[in-house]
Amino acid sequence: MRASHVLVGLLVAASLAFAAAGAVMHDTFYLRLATEALIFAGLALSVDILLGYTGLLSLGQALFFGLGAYVSALMLMVTPSFWVAFGATAAVSIVAGLVGGFIVQRVRGVYFALITFGMAQIAAKIVYNTRALGASDGLIGVPVININLGVASLSSASPAGFFLFVLAIVILFYALSAYLLDTPFGRLLIALRANESRIPFLGYRTMNARLAAYVIAAMIAALSGSLYPMLRGFVSPELLFFATSGNAVITVVTGGAGTLVGALYGGLLLTVLKSVVGSYTEHHLIVIGLLFMGAVVFLPKGLMGIVRPAIERWLSRERKP
Amino acid sequence: MSATLEYFQYVLAPQMLIGLVLGVAVILVALGLTIIFGLLDVINMSHGEFYALGAFIALALGSIGLPFWLLLILVPLVMLPVGYIVERGLIQRVFHTGDRHVTTLLLTFGLGLVLEDTFRLVFGPNPYKPETPIGGGVDVFGIFIPSYRLFLIVIGAVIIAAVAFVVYRTRLGAMVRAAAYDRHMAASLGVPVQHVYAGAFAFGVALAGLAGVLLAPIYTVFPTMGRDFILMAFTVVIVGGMGSIAGVVVAGLLLTQIQAIVSLYISPVWSDPIVFGIMVAMLMVRPQGLFNRLGHG
Amino acid sequence: MTAPILEIRDLSVSFGGLRAVDVVSFAVVRNSITAVIGPNGAGKSTLFNLISGALRPRSGQVLIEGLDYTGRPPYRMQAAGLTRSFQITNLFFDLSVAENLRLAAQILEPLAMAWRPVRASRIASARVDELLHRFALAGKAHYPAGSLSHGEQRRLEVAVALASKPKILLLDEPTQGMSHGDTQETAALIKSLASDVTVLLIEHDIGLVMSLSDHVIVMHQGQKLAEGLPAEVRSNPAVQTAYFGHA
Repeated sequence: MRASHVLVGLLVAASLAFAAAGAVMHDTFYLRLATEALIFAGLALSVDILLGYTGLLSLGQALFFGLGAYVSALMLMVTPSFWVAFGATAAVSIVAGLVGGFIVQRVRGVYFALITFGMAQIAAKIVYNTRALGASDGLIGVPVININLGVASLSSASPAGFFLFVLAIVILFYALSAYLLDTPFGRLLIALRANESRIPFLGYRTMNARLAAYVIAAMIAALSGSLYPMLRGFVSPELLFFATSGNAVITVVTGGAGTLVGALYGGLLLTVLKSVVGSYTEHHLIVIGLLFMGAVVFLPKGLMGIVRPAIERWLSRERKP
Repeated sequence: MSATLEYFQYVLAPQMLIGLVLGVAVILVALGLTIIFGLLDVINMSHGEFYALGAFIALALGSIGLPFWLLLILVPLVMLPVGYIVERGLIQRVFHTGDRHVTTLLLTFGLGLVLEDTFRLVFGPNPYKPETPIGGGVDVFGIFIPSYRLFLIVIGAVIIAAVAFVVYRTRLGAMVRAAAYDRHMAASLGVPVQHVYAGAFAFGVALAGLAGVLLAPIYTVFPTMGRDFILMAFTVVIVGGMGSIAGVVVAGLLLTQIQAIVSLYISPVWSDPIVFGIMVAMLMVRPQGLFNRLGHG
Repeated sequence: MTAPILEIRDLSVSFGGLRAVDVVSFAVVRNSITAVIGPNGAGKSTLFNLISGALRPRSGQVLIEGLDYTGRPPYRMQAAGLTRSFQITNLFFDLSVAENLRLAAQILEPLAMAWRPVRASRIASARVDELLHRFALAGKAHYPAGSLSHGEQRRLEVAVALASKPKILLLDEPTQGMSHGDTQETAALIKSLASDVTVLLIEHDIGLVMSLSDHVIVMHQGQKLAEGLPAEVRSNPAVQTAYFGHA
């Protein structure tokens, strides 16, 4: 656990340095790219809550991510207020999460993966074909907003400012998730993954625990998605496509499922890889796909499976006089 | 009265035929998927890419002048060793871990990504349209059917019947069903389980590849063709019952007919959501599908 | 006249044509140890499944302190004070011994504690320590349950069922696969439980049954064949026939 804290601390420190450098150099491209990486890391976090802890592989988490993005965009075009958009997304995602959770309640394992896959595909198709939502072009023209934080306000157009704001939100999601997983509720989710059949005999209703996990994951995915139109000024059906869900799963598995911090670093790694490989060839999917397969076969605990124990060892060594 | 007959002849029947063509192709692809699941307990997320692989191999071999008839035989033969190697070299590496369902799903998902991008790399992103091997059409009871599509329906039915025959009426099939039911028991009875697994996987992807060759002239060939097709195949497998051959046939015919007829009345855009909706409904109500798994029940 | 702590009335269930449990009735006395015995296939585990909520009966009743709990799901049975252990070890093998116990003990805490850090649940952690000592598992508290020896796992099975301070404890072959020494220790443990809990257990070790139980119920082919004091049951000719074959 300490290793995770070290890693998150490292991430925050590096991000602050990155933001400072970017601000000084008047960079917009890289800061915006990093912000986008963080937004998708939020989605990855929600996948990890389901996969790494409750043991449910969701191949359609983009459903909630896209939902959040569209709700946020629609709200922002009516009132350019961050809190209204964020709040509306939260409310909608709870309802959607409950509905989705009801649909999947009796489903486990591979069937869960396929049903979430199907649900996201249906939603994507519907959005893609709905004129009112911009159809295949999506919604454009989301205005730049000023985020009122009480003591100060920042603009979503400010590359460094918004980057730090999104960083704060994603770290908040991380902290909330990490806290939850150290509560009896969180431990129950872990127990569900370990041996679901025993749980009812301990006095718990598995259905409620699973539903709660599903709704929490839905909320985090949707709220992450809600930040997207603030960054890019538009939303498109691509946000609901399988590629988005798939990327999130790759991020989590490569980073290390069940670690939370793996989702964050995995997202970072994937974005960097895409940029680097993408500058040499269009076919970055081959590289990423191969790396992913390698991770599944050789690193079942993901990168965190190597990094965290190494950090733990380093920490123990530091303690010895 | 004649108005209904005309409606049937010119509107409904042709549409049902289109559905039947798709149905036969979907069944061929889904058969492989369900055999792989029924036997190995593996969800092959790259199955659509093997379907595409068949089409691309046919494209490549066809461009050096090999005739269509030869391709129909050659492509599945080529895909057999490919599938065998994938199973032994890749899937077996994670087969004995605890959460193998998830791991093999993820592994094959990754494989699918790699294959898809490889197609794009080698062949480019644009669709190819191979020539229809049999031109023209025939008149069947007053309904016009393009000859190639009729050929597809017939050959598809023959292959499906052959697979069912092998699985249910031959000794090889009995071994396969025994291994599906209880691998350890089957192994101790002398069934070479490792080879059966690898062979089943190879056979499954070969079937998908064959479907790819057959459908190429109709649906064209492009890198993401597998992704679009696999959704329908998964739906058929789930509704019919994972691991059930009878289920795939029944569900395949049923769902493609529903899709074909529904798209006459509602915008075709909604036919996919409706079909997926059926899958979701099935998973809610009866997750194991309509029929029982291979070797069981 | 107070209702017996557990009463089974005409309980039946069938699997296809097979009558797995066939009109079984008996009452259990509070703080007693009642053993359910019978040849393989007699329906003992099925009976436990019916009582603990794992299976729904086709007919009959399960009454706890006079209240009807027939066909209720397992979590309701736990709320009513009835827990069980399993014949085939059903632990959280990837989790530590302490965590296995804590999960079961957590139910002793108010619901709101579910959202506070685990270490705040003092009642549960006290119970865990108590059980670790009572069941001699303190040395292995942080080991994964899967790494324990068979005998230790069987002990943990019982401890987990006991963690939530039930009124009625169903033990399904607690000494299954244990060495003689372990069996004796477990028997002593079960005997010591009877002051807090009513115990209903399935056992094959006849010696154990004789020395441990206050009351014995014999099942054969789904039906209750006989019941009574251990010595009475042992000398019952019908019981002897059931066990040793036809006369």
